[in-house]
Amino acid sequence: MANSRVITHPMSRRQILKGGAALGLGSAAALSLRPSWANPWGQTNVYSKGVEEGPEVSLAIRRESILIDGKEARPISINGTSPGPMIRLKEGQDAVLRVTNLLDEPTSIHWHGLILPPGMDGVPGVSFPGIAPGETFTYRFPVRQNGTYWYHSHSGLQEQLGHAGPLIIDAAGREPFRYDREHVLLLTDWTFEDPMAVFRNLKTAEGYYNFQERTVADFFADVREKGFAATAEMRGMWAKMRMSSRDIADVTGSTYTYLLNGHSPEENWTALFKAGERVRLRVINGSAMSYFDVRIPGLKMTVVAADGQPVQPVPVDEFRIGVAETYDVLVAPEDDTAYTIFAEAMDRSGYARATLAPREGMAAEIPERRKIADRGMEAMGAHGMGSMEGMDHSGMGGSDMQGMDHSGMNGSDMQGLDHSSMQGMDHSNMQGMSGEENRMNANGMLAAGAAQPGSRYDQAGIGIDPGERRMLVYRDLKAFTPWPDRREPERELELHLTGNMERYMWSFDGKKFSEVTGPIHFNKDERLRLILINDTMMEHPIHLHGMWMELENGQGELIPRKHTLNVKPGERVSALITADAEGSWAFHCHLLYHMDAGMFRVVKVS
Amino acid sequence: MRKTLLTLALGLATTAAFAGAGHGGSQAAVSDADIDRTIRVEAGDMWFDSEKLNIAPGETIKFEIVNTGNVEHEFVIGDAEAQEAHRKMMQEMGGSHGGGGGHGGHEGHDMAEGEHGGSMPSVTIAPGDTAELVWTAPQNVDGLQYACNIPGHYEAGMSGNIDLQG
Repeated sequence: MANSRVITHPMSRRQILKGGAALGLGSAAALSLRPSWANPWGQTNVYSKGVEEGPEVSLAIRRESILIDGKEARPISINGTSPGPMIRLKEGQDAVLRVTNLLDEPTSIHWHGLILPPGMDGVPGVSFPGIAPGETFTYRFPVRQNGTYWYHSHSGLQEQLGHAGPLIIDAAGREPFRYDREHVLLLTDWTFEDPMAVFRNLKTAEGYYNFQERTVADFFADVREKGFAATAEMRGMWAKMRMSSRDIADVTGSTYTYLLNGHSPEENWTALFKAGERVRLRVINGSAMSYFDVRIPGLKMTVVAADGQPVQPVPVDEFRIGVAETYDVLVAPEDDTAYTIFAEAMDRSGYARATLAPREGMAAEIPERRKIADRGMEAMGAHGMGSMEGMDHSGMGGSDMQGMDHSGMNGSDMQGLDHSSMQGMDHSNMQGMSGEENRMNANGMLAAGAAQPGSRYDQAGIGIDPGERRMLVYRDLKAFTPWPDRREPERELELHLTGNMERYMWSFDGKKFSEVTGPIHFNKDERLRLILINDTMMEHPIHLHGMWMELENGQGELIPRKHTLNVKPGERVSALITADAEGSWAFHCHLLYHMDAGMFRVVKVS
Repeated sequence: MRKTLLTLALGLATTAAFAGAGHGGSQAAVSDADIDRTIRVEAGDMWFDSEKLNIAPGETIKFEIVNTGNVEHEFVIGDAEAQEAHRKMMQEMGGSHGGGGGHGGHEGHDMAEGEHGGSMPSVTIAPGDTAELVWTAPQNVDGLQYACNIPGHYEAGMSGNIDLQG
């Protein structure tokens, strides 16, 4: 089998030898086109399957023909699979990861969520020059954490071509939960279009992939419910913002095939269990642009880790996973029956699906997709509409917005609303407007761990009816132990998430990466509060490399550590950072095309 | 089943309140002499150090539960059904024991049937603390579990089976 592979890829073989790297061709992972970690029996103490086990791992990056959803596709493969193999390391190891570039363009791998030396972070132009075609780069770093992470290319739009995979680090000590079996569930969004063409389409025609524009029929339905004046007013408002109220995602199921472990919903990848087992599901959102709402009808899921970090367990029915986030959940199926793992795209334009079953070949009912939600007025939160802040939105699903009293927001408030003029707004007058008691520290800033006014940590976001089922919200996330650095923040750094949909420009503080003059500076070892204010009408998953962000979700000293923070439209989110990682680090929106369009900065710690 | 459990002699060390219901009218604390055996159980985040305990019917056990974790735990004895009902109630209450208030089952004053969870021997242990629970294993009962039903704790692994030999 190994021979036939070599014959099929003579070029690859030569280049491998030229590269001088041991590429692990003999390992089971390299021999199958299907990711080996997607084995239906998963990982248990008994059924250990082939993975790329650390501390020494060799990875070969190629472009090759692989069937995706049964159709001819040309993804980027890692050791012959796309998405790539699971890399399994152990806390305490010194990892040596050799990456050989067999593409005809430069590549890279970023180890998402890992705390490591700046030169090993894998961002071309920030951490290192990138890996040139034919070259091998050796990443070396001590593994000082454990949990569920992932890896992906940080070069151009390669991630959209499947250049990503799971990265699992086994704990040195006992984890705060028990399980009998585990499965990795990697969510991705695949397009048969060239990613550059997708990007061009977004640049030239806003709403290119959005076929869910409101129709005349919707208009008359609205008029019936709300009256003509209110309906016309809302339409006018959205038009002024150059947005459609149905812009939930800018790349949708019209081009995407949503994959779970590389498989389409029709292919129905199956994760096996035995009745009575407690199964750990390591859910990774490795997609380029898509948020998912994940549930398993018939099973309670207990969230035990977020972004690789253990959290106090939260039993839920469903959770929303932003791009680049990871959640670990436990399920305990007691019946000898099949369950559908259903990951519905946030914009409801499609779904990824797998089956959790005691035997292969089983299937359960696929839930009905929910209706597309309208962007409600809550999206206006940070736009200076103070009267919105104190409102309790917790009981409102997107569809319940009709019942809201919009009288305080007449058309004149909206006139001339221009995102670019929003910067420099003083939000200080918003303090104290949220329901909870906000303690101030000596500097007049909110006490560490307190939720910022303007945050909506008790809401999952657009398109969710909170009354329907128990949904995970950021407020639920609570660490077991306080982070060792309990200093109050010495200063606050406020960044606005900004954009212009029509021209598909995305940025921080109104400046694209190509327009900024220098990095964002963190003083070495300072304790700072990063405040993110989303002035746009879309969610942005904001990722800081090299350092944890402690999400100030109101849990005091038990605030959770995250590598990626979802900031909802109009929301104000804050995180504490200990700037202990000297060097230059990437900081960006993890929506791939937003990052490429300019929502990217370098953070320099010195 | 519930009736059978009511006949247990049990003591809630935390509240020093004892149930006499159906126990020959005795309101007195179980004296050390009545204790056949002491079992030390470690409660961590999120586990008990044993996943199974072998106890003989009629045996009176003093459990010493040490909480070596970072968060509050409880130790509750009951069958799967009662445990689940207790769990649901805890979930609805938001998981708070509220410093001894608001949780009838843990007050220990009324072990009569009716109030949910009231019939299950239980004790709550703060992080770093040790609590005691004295319990006599019933005859002719099986399917007993010990568990922590603070929301998410059971699901994360805090349960074990009591194997009543005999």
